[in-house]
Amino acid sequence: MQINRDMNILVVDDFSTMRRIVKNLLKELGFSKFDEADDGSTAWPMVQSGKYDFIVSDWNMPQMTGIDLLRHVRADENLKDTPFLLITAEAKRSQILEAAQAGVDGYIVKPFTAATLNEKIQKIFARVAERQSS
Amino acid sequence: MTFATQIDKQQVQALLEALEQDDRSQASHLLDELTKIREGELHQQLRVLTQNLHQTLDDLDLDTPILLHAKHDLPDITERLRYVIDETQTASEKTLGSAENALSFLEQLESILSEGMTEESRKDGKPLIEQCSSELTNIMLAQSYQDLTGQVLNRVILIVTALEESLRELIQRSKHEFHAIPDKHVDEMQRKQQEAHGVGPNVTAKSKQDAVESQDDVDDLLDDLGI
Repeated sequence: MQINRDMNILVVDDFSTMRRIVKNLLKELGFSKFDEADDGSTAWPMVQSGKYDFIVSDWNMPQMTGIDLLRHVRADENLKDTPFLLITAEAKRSQILEAAQAGVDGYIVKPFTAATLNEKIQKIFARVAERQSS
Repeated sequence: MTFATQIDKQQVQALLEALEQDDRSQASHLLDELTKIREGELHQQLRVLTQNLHQTLDDLDLDTPILLHAKHDLPDITERLRYVIDETQTASEKTLGSAENALSFLEQLESILSEGMTEESRKDGKPLIEQCSSELTNIMLAQSYQDLTGQVLNRVILIVTALEESLRELIQRSKHEFHAIPDKHVDEMQRKQQEAHGVGPNVTAKSKQDAVESQDDVDDLLDDLGI
């Protein structure tokens, strides 16, 4: 399956090193258009612009959490189908179920590998393609 | 330290009877009385506890470990932990910088080599390989943070352990039974709130109980839900 490598990706994490790692890994996977936000609250107005085709977010952030950002996205008629991947250290079973209920497309626990990221992205966009063709 | 309650059986029985007979005003009146007794008891307990604590603090000599810890070691701990945060951040940034540079040198090398192996490409490629190897050495050197922060963290563990010991002693001197202190209770709502905000990595044995162990566990869990 071909993934559009020109898509606009928003990387949200309160730690700059983590944003840098995620961006570098995405670059290795052939993506090139990224923006960054350091909190859900700064990410949300950016997302509302409608620019992003894919959101990669941390969970635990000071002002607005990643799960809240996800809920905002899913509740917005224009944005609700935006693929959303959580990369987080939150690993309680109840939290993963919570994220699933909120409509997350993929869930990666930190620390993670490049292979895991690649696998999840493939899976997410395979499902997006399936959804669009059906 | 335990406190006998002044609530007696008859009062509770009277309340039960009122409730059984659906006499709401009587029930509410009796409940108010019971609450009043309980509140009085709580105030009395608090008074005793405060007196004890005051007495214990008065009895402490100025060179008692807990006082020394409070004045010298606690501010020290904060400073040491800040150092660990700063050092790990610096090391992480150095490593990322070098890795990004190395990747870019490799990219340039790849593009040179894609045009075939000529005398020219050999000449252009050599400095790139050298730069790449120097960045890898930088990455290796940046890892020395682990030695430094490890030493600082070990020191913090020592201080915290000593502080815990002193606090225990203080509790015992104020005539409390350490083992009688109740378990920390987090109700369902608090737990949910904490988890919604994020609890961070599950490091302690207790917090690991309800956590997944690996990405495979996450995948299985989500597979079951069709994600």
